[in-house]
Amino acid sequence: MDRRATLATLFGRSKTGQSSTQSKKATMGLTRQMTGLEPYTGPWGFEQAAHLLRRCTFGPTYAEMKQATEDGLDATIETLFATLPLPEPPLNYYYEEDPNVPIGEPWMDAPYTSDNASRLYRRRSLYGWTVGQILNEGISLREKMVLFWNNHFAISEVDDPKFMLQYTNVYRTYAWGNFRDLVKEMTINPAMLRFLNGNQNTKNAPNENFARELLELFTIGKGPLAGPGDYTNYTEQDVVAMAKVLTGWRDQGYYSENPDVTVGSYFRPNQHDTTAKQLSHRFDNVVINDMGEGEYSHLIDVIFGKSEVARFISRKLYRWFVYYDIDEEAENEVIEPMAQILIDNDYEIRPALETLLRSNHFFDILNVGPLIKNPIDFSYSLFKQLHVEMPEELEAKYVSWLRIMTLVNLMEMDYYTPPSVSGWKAYYQEPLFYRTWINATTLQVRMGFTSRMASNGYFFEGNRIVINPLAFISTLDNPVDINDLLDELVKILFPQPISDSQKAALKEFVIPGLPDFEWTAEYSQYLSNPDDSDLAEAIETKLRSLFNAMLSMPEFYLS
Amino acid sequence: MKRRHFLHTTGAVVSLPVLLNGMKVGTLPKTALFNNMNLENDRVLVIIQLNGGNDGLNMIIPIDQYDNLASARANILLPENSILPATDVTGFHPIMTGVKSLYDDGKLGIIQSAGYPDQNRSHFRSTDIWTSGSPAGEFWTTGWLGRYFEERNPDFPENYPNSDFPDPFAITMGSTVSETCQGTVANFSMTLNDPFSLSALTEGEPGDVPNTPYGEELTFLRTAIAQTNAYSENITTAAEQGNNLVAYPDDNRLAQQLKNVALLMSGGLQTKVYVVSLGGFDTHANQVDINDATIGGHANLLGTLSQAIKVFQDDLQQLGLEERVIGMTFSEFGRKIKSNDSFGTDHGTAAPLIVFGSCVNPQILGDNPEISPQVAASEGVAMQYDFRDIYGSILMDWFEVDETEVTSSLHPEFTYLPILRNCSATTSTDTVIKPDLDLRSSPNPCRNMIRFQFTTTQEYGRLAIFDAMGSQIKVVFGQKLAPGAHEVTVDTSQLPAGTYYAHLQLEGRQRTSRFIKMK
Repeated sequence: MDRRATLATLFGRSKTGQSSTQSKKATMGLTRQMTGLEPYTGPWGFEQAAHLLRRCTFGPTYAEMKQATEDGLDATIETLFATLPLPEPPLNYYYEEDPNVPIGEPWMDAPYTSDNASRLYRRRSLYGWTVGQILNEGISLREKMVLFWNNHFAISEVDDPKFMLQYTNVYRTYAWGNFRDLVKEMTINPAMLRFLNGNQNTKNAPNENFARELLELFTIGKGPLAGPGDYTNYTEQDVVAMAKVLTGWRDQGYYSENPDVTVGSYFRPNQHDTTAKQLSHRFDNVVINDMGEGEYSHLIDVIFGKSEVARFISRKLYRWFVYYDIDEEAENEVIEPMAQILIDNDYEIRPALETLLRSNHFFDILNVGPLIKNPIDFSYSLFKQLHVEMPEELEAKYVSWLRIMTLVNLMEMDYYTPPSVSGWKAYYQEPLFYRTWINATTLQVRMGFTSRMASNGYFFEGNRIVINPLAFISTLDNPVDINDLLDELVKILFPQPISDSQKAALKEFVIPGLPDFEWTAEYSQYLSNPDDSDLAEAIETKLRSLFNAMLSMPEFYLS
Repeated sequence: MKRRHFLHTTGAVVSLPVLLNGMKVGTLPKTALFNNMNLENDRVLVIIQLNGGNDGLNMIIPIDQYDNLASARANILLPENSILPATDVTGFHPIMTGVKSLYDDGKLGIIQSAGYPDQNRSHFRSTDIWTSGSPAGEFWTTGWLGRYFEERNPDFPENYPNSDFPDPFAITMGSTVSETCQGTVANFSMTLNDPFSLSALTEGEPGDVPNTPYGEELTFLRTAIAQTNAYSENITTAAEQGNNLVAYPDDNRLAQQLKNVALLMSGGLQTKVYVVSLGGFDTHANQVDINDATIGGHANLLGTLSQAIKVFQDDLQQLGLEERVIGMTFSEFGRKIKSNDSFGTDHGTAAPLIVFGSCVNPQILGDNPEISPQVAASEGVAMQYDFRDIYGSILMDWFEVDETEVTSSLHPEFTYLPILRNCSATTSTDTVIKPDLDLRSSPNPCRNMIRFQFTTTQEYGRLAIFDAMGSQIKVVFGQKLAPGAHEVTVDTSQLPAGTYYAHLQLEGRQRTSRFIKMK
């Protein structure tokens, strides 16, 4: 009996993506998995367009949802998957002392100086810029995939911002590209070499850290314990052998002050284990002979020769885009065919993911709304959907973005610091999954955040970041009618309609105990006298309480 | 017969009636269970987390190693005559007068050189190890106290709080839940900054809940919001009814957290675990003042710690709560023996822990670390006590956890440590006094082999070799031993030259012995 594995189960080390076969749906009247991966054949309307965009972006705007409604499924999918160039790099937005990087210029290729502050400003710049990428993503799947890979490979504690930018740009490049090529690239990625000690993995002192996670978390996953050191999909012998295959790689350029050294990695033949590496029967007893610099790539090909890799990544994509519960039917009707598409397409992510996003299963009403937004999704959807304005000026803009990242960190999601190499618990930790985001603290923080955004807002170095309710409702179709106003807000902010009693309760925030036409009267009066600040303030106060109430409803926490 | 076998009590908290739709199944009257629980189990554990890696050698000073310390860390070493002696060979940092007086009063103990094999010197990773109670090589996602709570409350958070458990199981002072209290399903600790300023979360009009996954998640969210509000209400009530009977210094941030712990306890909150923290122990530079090693950054931290523990203990005594509370400190690692040129120290290995309360054994458990005359640059203090043995012994003696649960959920090779003493009727004790453990090694220094000699009773024993970094090089044996004298020879021919530590662990006793491997 393998003690490590036994204890791991006992102590909640559940990092595998294996399906949970126990179905808790038994208590429910409805079976969730009535649908499979076949193309969606139902009607196309706002509801479907909104669902697709909510899951593929961080909070679509009303305009974007309307656009997708009009464009239809095919065109919207094309827009989501459109190839984009890498974004403009982050800039030095305030630091005057860096001789290598003037203010307003990118620091990506500039060497560091000995002074610590030159590291600090670049990190701040990267953090802020990352926020900007999401806020300005438009109708594109890319940033959601960047975060997906950031969760998948979960690099942290590599705090050179040039390294961080480098690997997140790899995620951008590969967003829905070839999974095998991405794993190859990440295997010798400089940040990864540091993160999982690949740079210390030498023939005389092999370090198994990366090899273990490569199998367990990045590619094939850990299956049930089948024997001593045998995890069904691989064995301890494979970990040892693969660590040897991967010996000899080093990263370079970490916080380098040398202008000639760029961020990268290199192979040291003299540190590479040239012996023959014998894999276990789980990999058909393959022997990997010395191939020097190309050996790692061959190893990845060997791992990807196993179809379990396709199922493993399909489950992760499913949990990212659909729901955490993968019951037997979802496993058979969705995961299995997705995996087959991956294999048929040489591990290109797009065909499989696109099929999922176009499927009956994806648009099944039972899959609309049960995804608890992670803190990034939660807060950014507020900024985006309610048109919160950010300053334009370079420094003010970066400062605001950076402060947003700090706010979201308090909700327990730090973009560049996944809590462990397994990523965020929401995407693997049974049985809680998405629910790990919610506790007494994070609720206080989330509600503190929304209520502040709905009231006074935040002052970031003098710039007020706040919801502007009057400006916002003026973008709606029919804000003079309180019922239309509410319906539109519900459509924008919530994944499913709310009940009449909830709507009535919300109405009380605007026209307490008054008939509906009083809103029309008040608002029309304001429209005719937009410069009357008393009128404007009176209406704004009501709207602020309405927004606060809506944003604190659990419905807003769901997608 | 081992004492722990006596400690398994009626299991009032172990076998809770099943809750079905919020109604209790069974005939046990609510009040009986309630009273029973209070009688058996009203004890509180306060954990003080020292973030950053505490330099134990500057807190609990091995006076008998002073000369070797002087060559390893001359620029930060306290003058010998400034050290507050606890015993002939061990003393406290001079600023820790509060801690010293509690020690003298029999209310504070020290556990020497706590750590774990294969010390990880990353802050994050090592903190995870300390909070989860995992071995260094494994990632566990639950905390050591989370598993304790979950074993007894497997359905949490569903139907909590309830009339049997109206209060949070644990409270973390601060804004992130402590990983020590992480269960597989939920974290058992609620975070709290100020018990008087809890804002009620908005609980809106509930509306219909469809019988779908969406409805399930909606219900979960509504429950979580309602639960937070329910706990918050009890916390506010306890804070309003509670008292502090001594003045806590305003400028002591740790004391301010402990003040709230005493306040809530005296107000009747039934929370069992409080986690408080003090940061700033990552003293790579300016750990001491350049001109005076008795003052500086680390002295300030130790002063804060000492003053906070003292004032808290005094308050508990005046509040009549003394026998219900124990406290312990921990930090992710100690620091290197050698100081650096910046008047600081870098990440190291083991370090002493402080335990306090009127129920702790007021002793210095274990030996002083041995400091070699030539300390390697990367060398930390060798581990003497595995931190999981400390946790396990506290769980057994304080929370009446059975040893089998400790072995299965915390440490398969658990060794009981006499950290607590009997201070109330329920903690029956018949501690077996065992002879001192002597571990002799020869030849020392060694070349190709080294011989260890020691005497045991019939008991389980484990001998392991560690290098100066705290990495476990080799387990010589781990087995049941016959009574009598033993001699083991270990092949050292393959070991690189340097300093090593042999760690012998028996039931309730352990010993670390340093040896040198020559070229």
